[in-house]
Amino acid sequence: MTRRYLLRGVAGVVVGLPFLEGLTPRRAGAGQASSKFAVFVRQGNGVQQATASGEPERFWPSFAPGAFTPEALAADTGRALSELADHAKDLTIVRGLRFNDPANACRHSGGGNQVLTAATVGLKDKCNSSLAEGQSIDNLIQNQLAGDGNEPLTLICGAKSDQVNEVLSYRGPLDVRGAERNPYNAYLNLFGVSTLTPTEQMLMRARRQSVNDLVRAEMQSLLARKDLSRMDRTRLDRHFTSIRELEIGVSCAASSDDAARLEAGARSLADDTQIDAVVKLHMDVIVMAIACGARRAATLQIGSGPDGNRYTIDGVQQLDFHGISHRATSPDPVLMHSKIDRKILSLFKYLLDQLETHTTARGTTLLDEGVAVYVNDLATGDHSYDNVPYLLVGSAGGSLKTGLYVDAGDVPNKVFETNNKILNTIGAAVGCKNGAGEPLDDFGDPTLEKGMIDAIFAAG
Amino acid sequence: MATPSVQVVAVRFPRLSHLQWEQTVVDLFHLDAPTGLSASFSPDPDGGKPFDNNQAQFQVTPSLWRDYHTAAEAVAANVTSSAEEMARFVPDSTSSDPAEKEGAFLEKFGLRVYRRPLSPGELAARRSLFDKAPAQYPDLDPFVAGVRASVAAFLQSPYFLYRAELTDEPTTAGSPLVALGGWEIASRLSYAIWNSMPDDELFRAAAAGELATAAGTHAQIARMIAAPRARATVSRFFDQLYGGDRYLSINKDRSLYPDFTATIGAEMRAELGKFTGHVYDQGGGVRELLTSTTTFVTPRLSALYGVTPPGTDRPDADGFVPVQLDASQRAGLLTLSGFLSWKGGPSQPDTIQRGAFINRRIICQTLPDPPKEAQGKTLGDQPTDRERVNALTGPGTCGGGCHGIYINGPGFALEHYGAMGEYRTLDGDAPIDSSGTFSFTDGPVAFTNAIDFSDALARSTQVHRCFADHLVQYTTGRDTLPSDDVVVGQLADRSVAGAAARDLLIALLESDLVRFPLAITESE
Repeated sequence: MTRRYLLRGVAGVVVGLPFLEGLTPRRAGAGQASSKFAVFVRQGNGVQQATASGEPERFWPSFAPGAFTPEALAADTGRALSELADHAKDLTIVRGLRFNDPANACRHSGGGNQVLTAATVGLKDKCNSSLAEGQSIDNLIQNQLAGDGNEPLTLICGAKSDQVNEVLSYRGPLDVRGAERNPYNAYLNLFGVSTLTPTEQMLMRARRQSVNDLVRAEMQSLLARKDLSRMDRTRLDRHFTSIRELEIGVSCAASSDDAARLEAGARSLADDTQIDAVVKLHMDVIVMAIACGARRAATLQIGSGPDGNRYTIDGVQQLDFHGISHRATSPDPVLMHSKIDRKILSLFKYLLDQLETHTTARGTTLLDEGVAVYVNDLATGDHSYDNVPYLLVGSAGGSLKTGLYVDAGDVPNKVFETNNKILNTIGAAVGCKNGAGEPLDDFGDPTLEKGMIDAIFAAG
Repeated sequence: MATPSVQVVAVRFPRLSHLQWEQTVVDLFHLDAPTGLSASFSPDPDGGKPFDNNQAQFQVTPSLWRDYHTAAEAVAANVTSSAEEMARFVPDSTSSDPAEKEGAFLEKFGLRVYRRPLSPGELAARRSLFDKAPAQYPDLDPFVAGVRASVAAFLQSPYFLYRAELTDEPTTAGSPLVALGGWEIASRLSYAIWNSMPDDELFRAAAAGELATAAGTHAQIARMIAAPRARATVSRFFDQLYGGDRYLSINKDRSLYPDFTATIGAEMRAELGKFTGHVYDQGGGVRELLTSTTTFVTPRLSALYGVTPPGTDRPDADGFVPVQLDASQRAGLLTLSGFLSWKGGPSQPDTIQRGAFINRRIICQTLPDPPKEAQGKTLGDQPTDRERVNALTGPGTCGGGCHGIYINGPGFALEHYGAMGEYRTLDGDAPIDSSGTFSFTDGPVAFTNAIDFSDALARSTQVHRCFADHLVQYTTGRDTLPSDDVVVGQLADRSVAGAAARDLLIALLESDLVRFPLAITESE
């Protein structure tokens, strides 16, 4: 029995699973498609920036913080950030940020725990199995903005690690979310079409209602038991609250060409020479999900905790990036690290390009409506948590000032601001609120000083 | 019976892994092949665990619930799409009374889904759903409609998705251990040995009360272990413990290894499977895993090892033939091509990573990450690998502690093997020095090469205990707990004495640890 055979047995309806021969046109521009969103793309292993050990500066702009022009960024060819010159008018470069928790000796894991959570690091004694003690910002954004029970889109690509894999997205304390490696699977799980008549839809709802009622009753009877451990109760409770009514009649899908491309590309997941193509497929799925309104937040983790991908640079496949980041390779691993920074930024630019090509019902582009964020869970190859880069592209409907280079701390004097403030800024910009209904200002570790990066928040 | 030294929280609702879901659906409906639907289920987080069946990672999230939901509907539609499909799992009934047919189906099929008989209340709820179905599927025969609706609901039931263990009767008054019922023991055994639901014979034994006795469980375990499908479970254990899936991303410098192609990683992984499978089938255990010189090669691997197959064996279906490796050059899995190549750089052996892996997976020695002082330091340009590693991490450096005591010694033992695992006698122009020492818990051991070192490992209680600990993790689908110490120690003792891996598995399955879990101590 094949998968296709099974799918064809579903009485003319596929929900959450595609019929390539029955795809309907995408509905970009309709409904929620113009709503705010945030997408996070994570590079690992730090960036090649100036260090105390004497490495040169090849990442941050050579010009001083403040407003900058596209021409100035384009001319700054010695710095990796010039890769984003085409989007300079929408770009906000934020330096001077740090992770607050020094974590443990396992700095890749500890950095990954904090980059989108600004939470303390839990299970420090587990070293590479440490986990964040709070939810991640993509989780908050998806839940506050959508509230439809769907989880944020959580993707990962590249070579697996035998130490640390997914690190980015957290539902809550110590609750890391599994990330999907296969963009075609992600697509299958996001989109479907329905050709049901209204009567058939009504019957479908009735059937599902009956099943859900029965399953809920079983779950409630289990949850009523007195002899459940906390772990079992938490597990069953999450299951119980996950049961909901699936939307019927969603008509939101990629073109059949896109779907076929995703299916074909997914066959190259284990091939390092195809990593660029796989990253782009993941980004395509993200753009589809945002364009369609299926998700309001997404993360793409490029590489495992320590990114061991072997990127192709200057036409030659290089050694594993983690080794390069620790300067354990030759020749000139410092320069090679910078070239990989440029590679990742150029891939991030692909996402920006795609977001810019989608127009909404209001005549804006998706990039105008939300914000795409580049993050790194380390500052440098030697595991520093000081001066971790956050690059924001898009104004989130005018809530973020752009064309700016901001020092959130005072980098020349080695003063760094905690990263909760940039996460507050991003959250507030897309519409998230604190407990009092005001713009988000208290995300992450509650012992940290509240607030945003005022220089870039435009309110409204 | 063991009395645990520390009270811990027990897991009473282990969720099926995606593999278990897939295989259970095949067995439940007697399908000819897996549906493949689980391939797109929301993934469980990795969590840095050695095995992919660790319950700590398994939850039913909104995404996974939706996956279960849509898969249940797809399976229900398909298995009721024709009389032939339905005949696979709907029990024969001679009754013409629809209510009797319905009752027989719900009772018999329900038992196989829940892996226990349904209570009268559960049956009544199922009947109610069945009876609503004809109105909800107006185009279907009423009985088919009921079966389809029932299957969709059964596959979303918590009693299907979890191996619910609801017994809370202590083994004896006041004992911290619970005496699982026969149905629960049946599921524990079938998922541990087959990664799937019990078969008819195991259900029969459970119903007959045979699993309440040691003799009854022993007979079933022996039968199940002998079944070919048990080997797939064992193979997954070895593959995950020794990192087989990582071999697929091996990469080498083509200027030094012009014949390298990425597909050799798959051959190396298959070799690991055939090597460990052979040890297991031949009654070998930890010693043989670490010292056997019998392996299986393709033409490319035989060239790498520098051996010529005798020509008396026809290649197996995968193109492999058995060979004996030179016992002065190779001993056990640490000298196999896949491990050495995986833990080898593009052009040089990765001595530190080889040593670290042996500590973590063979000896169970916990290692912290490098200290902050080590950050930013890199290998130098000394003429040999050993000199480079020593200059960075050896005596007198900030890494002298961890590396000197634990990591570098095992790494140096493998100095005779280049980046692809090829045997070498020179590193550049210098003769190989593969000597070293390792500080086991019962004292330091000196060795001159990998053959010596593998033998020392095979004699170390620490190594046998490590293997037993991993076997417990894999078989129970959870981290080991302090309360497992007694059983782990017993298994380690048997292993030191030369027990076969198969016998260790059987002993574990027959132990208190599987049959008598800890009671819940953290009730709310």
